[in-house]
Amino acid sequence: MGSAPPRAPHSLARVQKQTVGTSTALPAAQGDSLRIGIDVGSTTVKLVVVRPGTPQVLWQAYERHHAHQPERVLELLERAEAEVPGLAAPGTRVFVTGSGAHPLAEPLGARFVQEVNAVTLAVERLHPDVMSVAELGGQDAKIILFRWNQRTGERQAWTSMNDRCASGTGATIDKCLLKIGMPAEDVQRVHLSDRPMHHIAAKCGVFAEMDVVNLTKTGVPAEEILCSLGDAIVQQNLSVLARGNTLKPRVLLLGGPMFYFPFLQECWRRRIEETWHDRGIALPKGVAPERLIEVPDNALFYAAYGAVIYGERIAEEDAPYRGSAALRAFIQAGRQARFGSRAGPPLAADADELAAFRAAYTIPPFEPPRLAAGSTVRAALGVDGGSTSTKAVLMDEDGRILNKAYRLSKGNPIQDVKELLAELKAHVEEQDAALEVTAFGATGYAAGVLENALRADVNVVETVAHMQSAVNLFGEMDIICDVGGQDIKVLFLKNGELRSFRLSNQCSAGNGMLLQATAEQFGVGVSDYAEHAFQARLAPRFSYGCAVFLDSDRVNLQREGFGREELMAGLAMVLPKNIWQYIVQVPRIDGLGRRYVLQGGTQYNLAAVKAQVDYIRERVPDAQVHLHPHPGEAGAIGAAMEALRVVRQRGHSTFVGLEQAIAITYATRTDESTRCGFCTNRCPRTYITTRTPDGSEAIYISGFSCERGTVPDVEALKAFNREQRERARRLPNLAAEEARRVFASGFPVEPLPEPGAPVQGAAPPRGWLGRARLRKRRFVRSGAATQAARAEVRIGMPRVLDMWSTAPFWRAYFETLGVPARNLVFSRESGERMFADGAKYGAVDPCYPGKVAQAHIHDLLTHHHSPQRPLRYIYFPTMPSTLGAMGSDIGLSCPVVTGTPNVIKAAFTKEVDFFAARGIEYVDAAVNFGVPVLQRAHLHATWGPRLGITRDENEFAIEQGLRAQAACEAELQQRGREVLESIEREGRFGVLLLSRPYHLDSGLIHGVPETLQELGYPVITLRSIPRDPAWLERFFREDLAAGRITHPLDIRDVWPEAHTANSAHKVWGAKFAARHAHLAVVDLSSFKCGHDSPTYGLIDNILTTANVPYLALHDLDANRPTGTLRIRLRTFAHALRVREEQLAEHTRKERELAERLRRKREELLAGGRDDAPVGVPPLAALQPAGGQP
Amino acid sequence: MSAIPPREGGAAPGATELPRPVAAELQAFETTERERLGLPAGQRAQWVEAVHTAFTRSQRDTTTVLLAGLTEAHDHLLAAAVRRLGYRIEVLPTPDEEAFQQGKAYCDRAMCNPAYFTVGNLLRYLQRLRDEQGLSVAEINRRYLCVTAAGCGPCRFGLYINEYRKALREVGFEGFRVLLFNQTIDDQQMGEGGGLEVNAKFLIQVLRGLILADIVNLLKYRTRPYERVPGATDAAVTRSRAVLMEALEQGRGMIAALRQVRREFAAIPVDRTRVKPKVALLGEIWAETTEGDGNYRLPAFLEGEGAEVEVQPLTTWILTLLWEPRFDLARLARLWPRYGKAREEAPRRVWLKVMAARGVEQAIRITFYVSGWLAGLRDFRIPNIDRLAQQAHPYYDVEQRAGEMFLEVAKTMEYGDHATAHMVLSVKPFGCMPSSGVSDGVQSLLTERNPQTLFLPVETTGDGAVNVYSRVQMQLFKATDMARREAQQALTASGLTLAEVQSHLARYPKLGNALHRSPHRYACNAANLFHEIGRRLSL
Repeated sequence: MGSAPPRAPHSLARVQKQTVGTSTALPAAQGDSLRIGIDVGSTTVKLVVVRPGTPQVLWQAYERHHAHQPERVLELLERAEAEVPGLAAPGTRVFVTGSGAHPLAEPLGARFVQEVNAVTLAVERLHPDVMSVAELGGQDAKIILFRWNQRTGERQAWTSMNDRCASGTGATIDKCLLKIGMPAEDVQRVHLSDRPMHHIAAKCGVFAEMDVVNLTKTGVPAEEILCSLGDAIVQQNLSVLARGNTLKPRVLLLGGPMFYFPFLQECWRRRIEETWHDRGIALPKGVAPERLIEVPDNALFYAAYGAVIYGERIAEEDAPYRGSAALRAFIQAGRQARFGSRAGPPLAADADELAAFRAAYTIPPFEPPRLAAGSTVRAALGVDGGSTSTKAVLMDEDGRILNKAYRLSKGNPIQDVKELLAELKAHVEEQDAALEVTAFGATGYAAGVLENALRADVNVVETVAHMQSAVNLFGEMDIICDVGGQDIKVLFLKNGELRSFRLSNQCSAGNGMLLQATAEQFGVGVSDYAEHAFQARLAPRFSYGCAVFLDSDRVNLQREGFGREELMAGLAMVLPKNIWQYIVQVPRIDGLGRRYVLQGGTQYNLAAVKAQVDYIRERVPDAQVHLHPHPGEAGAIGAAMEALRVVRQRGHSTFVGLEQAIAITYATRTDESTRCGFCTNRCPRTYITTRTPDGSEAIYISGFSCERGTVPDVEALKAFNREQRERARRLPNLAAEEARRVFASGFPVEPLPEPGAPVQGAAPPRGWLGRARLRKRRFVRSGAATQAARAEVRIGMPRVLDMWSTAPFWRAYFETLGVPARNLVFSRESGERMFADGAKYGAVDPCYPGKVAQAHIHDLLTHHHSPQRPLRYIYFPTMPSTLGAMGSDIGLSCPVVTGTPNVIKAAFTKEVDFFAARGIEYVDAAVNFGVPVLQRAHLHATWGPRLGITRDENEFAIEQGLRAQAACEAELQQRGREVLESIEREGRFGVLLLSRPYHLDSGLIHGVPETLQELGYPVITLRSIPRDPAWLERFFREDLAAGRITHPLDIRDVWPEAHTANSAHKVWGAKFAARHAHLAVVDLSSFKCGHDSPTYGLIDNILTTANVPYLALHDLDANRPTGTLRIRLRTFAHALRVREEQLAEHTRKERELAERLRRKREELLAGGRDDAPVGVPPLAALQPAGGQP
Repeated sequence: MSAIPPREGGAAPGATELPRPVAAELQAFETTERERLGLPAGQRAQWVEAVHTAFTRSQRDTTTVLLAGLTEAHDHLLAAAVRRLGYRIEVLPTPDEEAFQQGKAYCDRAMCNPAYFTVGNLLRYLQRLRDEQGLSVAEINRRYLCVTAAGCGPCRFGLYINEYRKALREVGFEGFRVLLFNQTIDDQQMGEGGGLEVNAKFLIQVLRGLILADIVNLLKYRTRPYERVPGATDAAVTRSRAVLMEALEQGRGMIAALRQVRREFAAIPVDRTRVKPKVALLGEIWAETTEGDGNYRLPAFLEGEGAEVEVQPLTTWILTLLWEPRFDLARLARLWPRYGKAREEAPRRVWLKVMAARGVEQAIRITFYVSGWLAGLRDFRIPNIDRLAQQAHPYYDVEQRAGEMFLEVAKTMEYGDHATAHMVLSVKPFGCMPSSGVSDGVQSLLTERNPQTLFLPVETTGDGAVNVYSRVQMQLFKATDMARREAQQALTASGLTLAEVQSHLARYPKLGNALHRSPHRYACNAANLFHEIGRRLSL
C-alpha cells in the first residue's frame, strides 16, 4: 500500500471526465490477463478493465441501471468484451463491489469486496497524502478518514457509512430535483454564491422534500433551493456521518453527485474549511488551496478500481471471470422466484374478483355539464394548492360541479392558479357562455399566498375542506381517509362533525408520492399503475413505515428478482398498513366505525383502492367503503362550498375577480433586504409581491421561523408587539412564562451564616459504631480569600434537558456560595442557527433535545466566553434523578438526559480539547437528587475543591437551592391555578401541553403555544397545574374513594410500573385533563423519545375514554415543520370550537338544572316538616365541571 | 373492559342529609329533568389499567409458565432448572421477523425493537394455541402465563410489561397473566398469590441454568469456526444440552454431565490453524444475546464471513446487576458517619449485607469456573465488575444506571487494552437510549485514543439486514487483515512455515484439540497457536 500517486496520462486519476451512458475505449490490451472491477450501486453501474500491476485503466463505463442491475452489468460486459480484446480469455479475473453486487458475484465467478473497503484501497493506492474521503452515492454516504497510528506508525483507515436511512445521499437530491423541476443540465451549472440560504432538513429525505416543496411553493428561486439543499446535506453528513471527527486535509470528494453538481462540491468546501478554522487544523504546506479539497477527474470509478486492487491480495487463481454468457444464463433462469418467503398473494385472486371490484369502484369519467349558449354562469371557485399539485373546481350555487382542473405544481402557486383559471374560463367561453365567480375559497399549502394575493373569501384548513366535501356527498360517515401526494389524513366523525383526526406527520410514511415515484422509476405513467399492479401473480411483503426505508426495500427486493408488476402490487398493499398501523396506530379498526369514504388523489389509482378496501373489509366485514367520485378535488370542492356559505352569510365576495386573477403579475424577492432582522436567527425571508391590473398590490411573506417574521418593518413590529401583549393578557401562555421564570434570577437567598453560628438541622456527625458524637456543631466558613475568589468565578450552564427542571436550584446554590448572579450564565434558547453552528461535534444521533446539547456547549464556548469575560467552568451535571413533580419514588431521569454530559465531554475533547484550549474546566460530575445524602456528598465532592467551600457551606447552599426551586414551582402553580379557575368560570377551553420541561425551549416546541394562543386558547403547562392535594381532591375524589389511588398524584391505577419522573408526570397530566372538563390536550414528544413511547397508548386510552379533545404531536425534531404543524393545530382548533359550543350548551343546561333543583327542593322542604335538616344542593348541580360535555 | 363506566345516577353525597322522601322525590325530579334537558348523569368514564398477575400455589401444577428471550441454550437450561422445583415450563421459539411484525402492529409506536420481537413472539404463540389447538381464550388465560424479565434502570426495557398488556388486550387475550421477574425481588408485579416463589432455592436454580448455558455457548462459539466437519459442533451442543438438562431436572449427576460435555467438544475434529479475525459481540443485552432475526443472526453471519465470535456470558451481566445494589449500599454505609443515616438499618447490618452480596458474587464466579473447568472451558475470565466500573467511570459516570450501564464502555476499553479481539461489534436496537444514545458517544472518544481496536456500532431496526451486513463486512475486512498480519508475524517470529506447524500438530494432536487454548499473545487464535508451537520447538 501507499505507492506514489500515478501520474501516467491515462491512469485512473487522469482519464477524461465521463458523462452518463458513455464508455471509453482504449488501445487493445496486450500480454497479461486482465482484471474487471464492477461497482453495482443503488442507481448506477460502473465498470473498469485494468491491466494488473499498473494503474492503467483500459476501458471504463458508467450507466444508470434503473433497477435492472444484472441486465445493465451484462450489457456493459458485452460491450467491454467486444471492445477490449482478450477480455473473455481465460485468466481474466473479476471483482465486484457495491450495494447491489452481492447476488452477481456467484454467476460471474467474482469475488465480492465491500464498497467502502474498495474505495479505501483505491485511495490508499492513488493518494497517499489524502487524509479524508467523502463519497456520496445513490443511497449511500461514506466517510473515510485516515490517521496515523502512533503505536505502529501506520496509516489506518476509519470508515463510516450511513445505515438504512438514505438521508443526505444522492437519492435525496434526486427526489428534490423532481420537486424543483429543474432540468439536469441546468443543475450542473448551478454554483454556490452569496445567495441566501434557506432552512432544509436533510436529516431525512422525506423531510427535505417537504421543505423543498414549501420553498418552491413560496416562490424561492430554484438555484437558492438547490444550494440550500446541498448545504443541508453536507451539514447532515458532517454532523452525523463523521461522528464528530474532522475531515482533515487533503480531502477527496467522490461519487456521482459530487462529480456532477458543482454547488455540492462548493458546499463541502465551504463547510469543511469552516471546521478547519473552528478546530484550528493546520493546513499542509506546499499544497495548492484548490487541491486541499478536490474532486478527482474519475470520482465515479474509485470503488470499481478498488475492487481490482483487492484482487492483488488474493490467490492468483481466485475469481476467474466466467464470461458474460454465465450472467445471461443467470438472468434467464437462476434469478427466478428466489422469493418464496417474502411474497404474499396478489391484489386480486382471480379475474372475477377483479371484474367485480372494477364494477364497483371504477370512477366514471367526469363530463362537465353543457352550458347554455349566451348564459352567464355564476359559480363558486375552490382551489386546493396541494403539495404536489394544484386543483380547482367550479361549482354552481346549487353545489353542482361545473368543471374541474388539475395541474402538477410547476413551482409558484400563483402561476398555477392563473393557468387553471384561464383554462376554466376558456372552457366556459368555448360554449359561448360567460363566467362570473361569485365566491372564492382556498385550501392547501398554498392557501395563505392565494388568500393574500387574490383576496379569497375563505382560507379553509385542508382537513375541514375534505370533511365538508365528503359529508355533503355521503351524509353521515364514520371515517374519511384522504390520501394525497404528501399527506395522509384520517378523520373520525360523529354526527357529521369532526370527532378526532390523525394526520401523517412530516414523516410521510409511504404515501401517494411514493407510488407515483415508483411508477416513474419503472417508466410507467401513474395512471397505468393499477393496470400493472393487477397483473402481478404474487406480491412481495414490504415492511411498512418510513418511505425512505420502503424505497430501499424496493431496491433490495428488486435485486432479489421481483418484477415490476409484483413490486407495484406489493407497494400498493403497504399503503393501508401505513395508514392504519403507522399513522392511525389502531391495529383493530373494527371499533372505529363501519362507514368509510376514501378520497385524495391517490385513490385514482385503483390498485391502492383495492388494497385499502380489502384491508378494511378483512377487519370490518360489514364495512361500507365509498369512493369519492372526485377523489383528487375533494379539498377544492370543500373550499368552494365553504366560500359559498361564507359569501351567502356576508352578502358579498372579497375575491379580486376572474379577469384580475388571470392577469395578476407577481415577483418574488429573497435577498438581504427581505431578511428578518428582529432576532439573531436572521431568517432569510421571501417576499411575494402581487399586483392586479387595477393596481392593487399585496405582499406575502414566507420563510420566517417565528411570528415576528410576518411583519416587514419596525413600525409593523411595534404594532404586532402591542397586539401580542394584548393577546397574552386575554390568553395567557404559561409555556412562555415558565420558560422565562425557570431561568430567571432574583430569588432572595439568605447569606451564609457567620462562622461559629450553631448549625440548624444538620445531621450530627457520627462515630463508626453509629453513636452520635454529642458535641455542639458550629458552622464552618471558608477563608476570606476563598470567598472573595468566588465572586470572580464565572460558570456557564447549558439551557438543556434537566437544567429546565433544576435551574432555580442551581442559581440559588451558586448565589448562596457567593458567585454573583451576573456570573451565572445560561446558554441561549435553542435555535436553528445555533444548531447549525454547533452540531458538528457529537458522535451519536439521539433525540433532538439530547443532540442540541452540543450546540449549547458550543454557544457557551463561543458566545459567552471571551478573554475579557472568561468562563471558569462549564457545568453540566450528570443527573440520574431529577427534581421532578412526582416525588422521589418516581424521580428517575431518562438515560439520554443523564448520559448526555458524558457524551458532550467525549465529543468536545476527542480530537481537540476545546475546554482546555480556552482555559475552561468542564464539570460533568454526577449529582443524585433522588438520595439526599448522595446529593450533599456529590455536590461537596464536586464544588468543595473547586470553589473552596466547606461542608456546612455546601449544605446551606443546597437548602437555599431547594427553597428557590420550591418557590419557583409554587409561583408556576399559582399562575396555573388562576388560569384553570378562570377558564372554568368562563366556560372556555384551555389547552394543556403534555410535555417534558425542556420542550418549552422555543427551539424545541416550534411555536406550538403561540399558534394555540393565536387560535384563541390559553396555554397551560404541566408544571403549572397545582399539586396541592386539597385543591386536587375534587378531581380525584372518586378514585380516592374507590381505593384505586392513595393520593391525587398517584398514577398506579393507570401505570403501576412508572419510574421516570417526566413520563409519569405526563401520564398524571393526562389523568388530570380527563377529570377537568375545560381542558384539551396537546401531547408533545420528540422523535426517538424512548421514554415517551410507552406512554403513547396510555395517554391515548386515558384521554379517549374520558372524551378529552386531544392532539398528539409526536416526533418533534430539529426542523420546524411549520406547514404540517399549522394544519394540525388549525384542525384541532376547529374540533375544539365545536366542542366549546357543546360545552357552553352543557354548562347552560347544568345551570338550568341546578336552578330548577334548587327551587324544587325549596318547594319540597317548605311543604315538609319544619325541623328537616337543610341539605346542600346536589354536587352535580353546583359543579358543571364534573359532567360530560 | 378497563374503563370504569359512568357512575349511575346523579345524586351527590350532600343529598342524603335531606329527609328520605324529600331526597327520593328530588332524585326522581333530577332524573326527569336530566332526561328532558338531554344531560348525561354522572362523571366521565375513566381509564383504569387492568393488571392480571394472580398466580396461586395451587395453580402451579395446572399452569404452564412460558419463557423466552435469551439464547436457545439459556432458555432450555433455565427451563430445566426451574422444572426441578415443580413448575411446568415451556420455552417459546426464538423470536423472528414474523414475531417482530406482529409486535410492531400491536405495541406502542417508537418502542425499541426487542419489545416488538418478544411481545410479538408471545402473541403468535397464544394465537397458535387458540387457532391451531382450538383452546379457548379463557382456557389459555387459565392454563398459561408468561414471565418476563424487567429492570434495566430507567430504560424502556423495564416498561415492556405495559406493551404486553396493551398488545394482549388488542389481540383479544385480555386477562392473560404476564409476571415481571425483577432483580429487586420485592416488586409487586411478580405475581400475587405465591404461585411463583422467588426464594433462594429458585434463584440458585435460575443461576445454575444460566451459568451452564453460558459455558455451552462459549464452547460453541470457540469451536464452530474451526470445525472440520460442518455441523459437528451444533450436534455436540445439542447432545451436551440434553445431558445438562437431564442433570438439572433430576438434581443429580451434574459433574458427570459436565465431563460428558467436555468429551463431546473434545471429540470435534478442528483445524486450529485457520486464521480468523476475532470479533467481540457486545451491546444491548437482548440484541447481543438473541440468536434470531433480532440481531440479524449476526453471530452466524460473522462466522459465515470467516470470523470467530466471542459472545458475552450472561454471568457477567448478572454480576453487574448484583454489583449495583452492593455498590450503592457500601457507599451509603461509607457516607454514613459524615452525612448521617440514609437507610433505616444500622450501619453494621448494612455492612453485613454488603459482605453477603460479595459472598453471592463469589459463589457465582466459583460455580462458573468450576463448571467451566469440568466442561473443558479453559482460559476464560469473568471480569471484575468493580474494576470495570472504576475503569469506565472517568468516561461514563457509574451513577448512570440504565441498560448495560458502564459495561459496554468498560468492555470496549478492555478489548482495546488487552488486544483480545480485532474488532468490537456493538449491536443495539435502533434508538436504544443508554447504548446508542450514550455509550456509543463515549466510545467514540475511546476509539479515537485506541485506533487499533476496530469498533463498529450497529443499530438493529428489525429489517434492512442487507445494509447492516454491508457495514459489518466493511469493518471485518480490516479485522481479517489484522488477523492475517498477526498470523504472519507469529510465523515469522518463530521461524516456522505452515507445513511445519501442521506436522507438529500431527505429532502432538493434543495441541490441535478443540478445547486446547494456546497462551494469549495475539487476538488471533491461530497466531497464538503458531507462537506456542514456535516456543515449544525453540526450547
